[in-house]
Amino acid sequence: MRKTFLITALLFLGMGVQQVFAQTTPAHALKNVTIHNADGSVTESATIVWRNGVIEAVGTNLTIPFDAYEIDGGDSLHVYPGFIDGYSIWGSPELPRNLPDLDDPGNPPYDRAGIQPERNPSELLTEDKSFEAAIKAGFTTAALYPNGYMLPGSVEIFYLSDDHNSVELLSDKVGMAGSFDTAPGGWGSGAYPSTLMGVMAKFRQVMFDATALQQHIKYYSQNPEMPAPDRSRVLEALFPVINNEVPLYFEVDQKEHIERLFKLQDEFGFDLVIVSGKEAYAKADELKRRNIPVLASVDFTDAPEWYKDMKKEEESDDSDSDETNEEISEEEQAYRDKQLEAWKLEVANIKSLMDAGVQVGYASAGLELKDLSGKLETLLEESGMSEQNLVQVLTGNTADILGISNTHGSIAKGKNASFSVFDKQMSEEKAKVLHNITNGIIHELIGE
Amino acid sequence: MKKLLTLCVMAVTFVVTVHAQEKGSVLIKNATVITVTNGDLENTDVLIRDGVIENIGKDLNAPRGVETVDATGKFVMPGIIDAHSHLNGVDINEARNPVTAEVTMEESVDPNEVGIYHALAGGATTIHLMHGSANVIGGQGETLKLRYGTTQDGMRFEGAKRTIKFALGENPTRVHGQGNGIQPRTRMGVEQVVRNHFDEALDYKRKREAYLEVKAEYDRRGRGTPPVPVAENLRYEVLNDIIEGEIYVHCHSYRADEILMLMRVFNDYGIKNYTFQHANEAFKVAPELAKNGAMTSVFSDWWAYKFEVYYSTAYNASILNANGVINSINSDNNQLLRTLNHEAAKVVRYGNTTVNDAIKMITLHPAMQLGIDDYVGSIEEGKHGDVVVWSGHPLSIYSIAEMTFVDGKKYFDRSNDPDDMRIDINPGTDFEDGANFREIVTRRDEDACLQDAFILMQNNTQN
Amino acid sequence: MKKLNIFVVAIALLFGLTATTQAQITEKPEYGKFAITGATIHTVTNETIEDGVILIEGEKIAYVGNNIRVTGDYKRIDATGKHVYPGFIDGWTGLGLVEISAVPVTVDDAEVGQFNPNMYAFTAFNPHSAAIPVTRVSGVTTVLAKPRSGSISGKAAVMDLWGYSPDSMAVKKSGALVMNLPSSTGGGWWDNRSEEEIKKQYDRQIKEINDFISKARFYDNMMKAYESDPSGKTKPDHDPRMEAMREVLSGDVPVIITANSEQEILDAIEWAGQQEGMNFILAGANEGWRVADEIAEAGMGVLTTTLYTPSRDYDNYQRPYQNPGLMAEAGVKVAIVSDDTENSRNTTFEAGYAAAYGMGTEEALKAVTINPAEMFGVADKIGSLEEGKQANLFISDGDPFEPLTNIEQVFIKGFKIPMQSRHSQLYDEFLDRDAVNK
Repeated sequence: MRKTFLITALLFLGMGVQQVFAQTTPAHALKNVTIHNADGSVTESATIVWRNGVIEAVGTNLTIPFDAYEIDGGDSLHVYPGFIDGYSIWGSPELPRNLPDLDDPGNPPYDRAGIQPERNPSELLTEDKSFEAAIKAGFTTAALYPNGYMLPGSVEIFYLSDDHNSVELLSDKVGMAGSFDTAPGGWGSGAYPSTLMGVMAKFRQVMFDATALQQHIKYYSQNPEMPAPDRSRVLEALFPVINNEVPLYFEVDQKEHIERLFKLQDEFGFDLVIVSGKEAYAKADELKRRNIPVLASVDFTDAPEWYKDMKKEEESDDSDSDETNEEISEEEQAYRDKQLEAWKLEVANIKSLMDAGVQVGYASAGLELKDLSGKLETLLEESGMSEQNLVQVLTGNTADILGISNTHGSIAKGKNASFSVFDKQMSEEKAKVLHNITNGIIHELIGE
Repeated sequence: MKKLLTLCVMAVTFVVTVHAQEKGSVLIKNATVITVTNGDLENTDVLIRDGVIENIGKDLNAPRGVETVDATGKFVMPGIIDAHSHLNGVDINEARNPVTAEVTMEESVDPNEVGIYHALAGGATTIHLMHGSANVIGGQGETLKLRYGTTQDGMRFEGAKRTIKFALGENPTRVHGQGNGIQPRTRMGVEQVVRNHFDEALDYKRKREAYLEVKAEYDRRGRGTPPVPVAENLRYEVLNDIIEGEIYVHCHSYRADEILMLMRVFNDYGIKNYTFQHANEAFKVAPELAKNGAMTSVFSDWWAYKFEVYYSTAYNASILNANGVINSINSDNNQLLRTLNHEAAKVVRYGNTTVNDAIKMITLHPAMQLGIDDYVGSIEEGKHGDVVVWSGHPLSIYSIAEMTFVDGKKYFDRSNDPDDMRIDINPGTDFEDGANFREIVTRRDEDACLQDAFILMQNNTQN
Repeated sequence: MKKLNIFVVAIALLFGLTATTQAQITEKPEYGKFAITGATIHTVTNETIEDGVILIEGEKIAYVGNNIRVTGDYKRIDATGKHVYPGFIDGWTGLGLVEISAVPVTVDDAEVGQFNPNMYAFTAFNPHSAAIPVTRVSGVTTVLAKPRSGSISGKAAVMDLWGYSPDSMAVKKSGALVMNLPSSTGGGWWDNRSEEEIKKQYDRQIKEINDFISKARFYDNMMKAYESDPSGKTKPDHDPRMEAMREVLSGDVPVIITANSEQEILDAIEWAGQQEGMNFILAGANEGWRVADEIAEAGMGVLTTTLYTPSRDYDNYQRPYQNPGLMAEAGVKVAIVSDDTENSRNTTFEAGYAAAYGMGTEEALKAVTINPAEMFGVADKIGSLEEGKQANLFISDGDPFEPLTNIEQVFIKGFKIPMQSRHSQLYDEFLDRDAVNK
């Protein structure tokens, strides 16, 4: 009964906000909710007050300003800091297909080599249903990068919305995206670099070329009588990486790839954020030593079918279970033992990294949002992570890594009003997001 | 300040990544020891301590804590060295350009390949992981010890010479000329690709050095005319390293004429350390090879699978050996790598090479060709403890490798040999999943050299 | 008997004359009456004879034993301390059909079309292939040259490795019919078909094969009916493909099915079990050890190799070497083959590995002699050292599986083969290339 009332009230307010906001900037107050903050603290019967996208006050027994729309959580709702996706492809245009063959595939133009650091997501954003799904899943903020290959473009941070037109830039060119992807193209249309070792070599050469160009530009500014440099948007886009002004966000999973990346870092000294990092656990100590954070993917392998069956059987364990036990060979049993061990290591990746003291945030890195809740559930069940760990990874840690922790990643006074309202604790079965507040704007999700 | 900081970070990293290899100790007792350089010693013990052969003699006592292996009636031979392998390359051919000196197999090592264990079980301890033969000047090679279970860095053979792959004849002309319509399409073109790139590299070096000189001067004085920067060029740097003798060339080649061609070119540029790989027609120019100090690394009996090996012979190795050419027998194939001892034995059959010379072709000679003969390739005090215990004489078909040691550490033991030796397990693959089925490599699989490049040719062979 | 021999000599000389106008690969062989004395004779089918004698008369073995006085009309070959073995049979090779595999115009083992029972390897077998002398001087005297394309590739031929024409070399023109069944499993990581697609494709292809065989049975029955009593019947049209199936349907010519993985083998056994009256052999059988009992029960012989890498990531490293022995132990008749062309000679070492890894020398020896001879229905002519059989044999200075052993003299169909090949000739020419200048 109480709940019905509340929902109606919210609906009404939600609709009203858009009109009133532009003129008088009234405040909002969400009261009688349980706040689960990034640092693990839980505050019951709490109130959040925000205005113009900024949290004015948060806590218990607050005096709600006279000009605030009050929303009563009725002590049944749970509020979390908005989830932040540290590296996502949402809104990126499709890559061109059927590339024409090159006359000299050994010397392709930069774009055909997969080198496009001059591209920025803010200039490319396109329609993508994922934005709506992200809001529904409790994401309020995301770092986006453009779809591409070895150096696909810059990383920029956005306030999310359910429509790409209202996704707003929060911070531009915070990093440079990178991967070991080879040049695009098929049989006839492929180009150098077409292998991992080729990508390594090409990366180095681009860095050398950018370094030389920067030097040339500098010399030219000192001495305009010398030959002018050939300006290059592509190479110049790399200057911030060379100058350690922004980190390279590098998408790697295999431990061997991470080692290769260390090697490049040793050579060029750039700052580094590892993205996805499914086998990063194997390099945890080295990551810690190098102070490299990981924006981890939770897109680990599904549990082996036989393991799922086994667990199901255990749950419904009754006297009739023995008939379902299939006979398997010793060889297969040994195989399964190894398989399960490998799977558990993969699932425990984030936990292992955290235990080793590596800073771990979250990156969807290609994971479809519909699969997220299942993956998080598995993490809670199988990896020894608590809900608090998860929240920390999805909010505070990611904000830290992206360099926006002064405004994002927790619910506190002065921070950006980006948080989401769950109908129960997020770790509970079938928990769902009722409302998502991004940059103070309320996204109404009821009934969908 | 920032730069200084970066430098500090780099220095720290350096110290830590040079981590100690795992080394072991063992006393192998009462074996027939095939030393390679000092004859076969019967009823002899070999003591390996901390990875190094410390003593070879009779009635040696095991130092405290050192395991003893009774090898009575058995043979101990240096670990087999394969001068031509693609066993665990992530990629083999960067085939989109005829010259790719800048790429290196060091960055294409998969340390988890279970075939490494299979090779150990065949008595191999070191391989030369090579770039393929799609390009006239291919990528750099990497000499690896088969330390199964370690990282890609952990497999590196510290102290080995740098190497690079060249390729002449059908493969580069098919991939680039026939495939992409660019030079080389002929053996004439192959020569010019080599010469042009060496010349370009020398020009680059001159300009780059001049730039660095003027730059240093300008930066120091802070006035004058600044130089136009010449970017560091990885490809040309490597080509200059070849010319300066820092890199050993391993050249895929078959026909006698192309072997002569490359020797002429190398003489012109003063390049001295090189090995012709495959070199099925090397026997036709054995005197010239010997005169130039060129080495060869050949198959024991492969021939006729392509036109440029049609007029060749299984007696190739014996002819080369008799003419004083340092020759090795290689595998270029993951199955032959498991049975290289018997590939060497064929050299005795075809041309009456002595047994010890045949064994040299899979131990000391490949070691010389990789620049690691100071460390491995024979059983001598002070060399690495890379040895194999064989059930009988290693050239007998009935002889089976029983234990394989690398740096004194036992990596294979037939008496403790579980079936499933994978170390990198994909949990998404179920027992009966097709992903567990390996592409079988038979002893007749001549395409390894063109892996990754093959699609380029298939695409175009109809033309 | 004698007359026939003379006739053969005449034929051989005739062919020899015509052949001398072509580039000659080796010198001429000797032919006639030979006595090999003092050798250890490995008969394979009977006891091994110490200090024995083999008499060769014309193309046949006239005597095997150690209790005979050799008369003066035999050319004596003193083989004291040496060994005599039946010539090895490589039961699975492209030899004679493929000269240079990378040069398509020299590749004659793969005809276009799915159903080609009327393609005869015999026809395309090139007696002058440079690889033939290379092979025979290593002790392989007879091969099964096989076609390989489509569902039904054609007929493989049992060929001796001496002669100037396929006719003079053929031990059996129709040695076996070669078939390739579709695979019911995915092909590994490079196969991106879905399970459903794979199943559908498999079912469709199997149906095509079954339809073809049904048609052949119908044709065979129809022809039999006509042939037994043509009166009052219109003669049915001749169909060369159907005609070629008749000797297969009757079981006179065996069918070789290529199958390597466990599932492929089981599929082949199941499919073969549904075919009445036909004889089956498996070729490949890399994973035969996993289903050795099933193969034995199906009564299928196997043509297999040893020198390949394990077929599964989690297999023991030595499984390929053990495979022939494990199958033989389960009661499967095993032939060890080269599965090679220009290096058919390595059949010897393929067998050597099996011998070393559990099969034993004696069984491995059978696997390259009498077993394939029996499978291809030519055991009355070759495969062992017995009186009346073809004189296909070699003299060695030791165990022929050993690479250090020298094969000293080869006889094929009574011809004392010159121990030369392109390989040895190049050796002779280039060992001391510039000797002429010195």
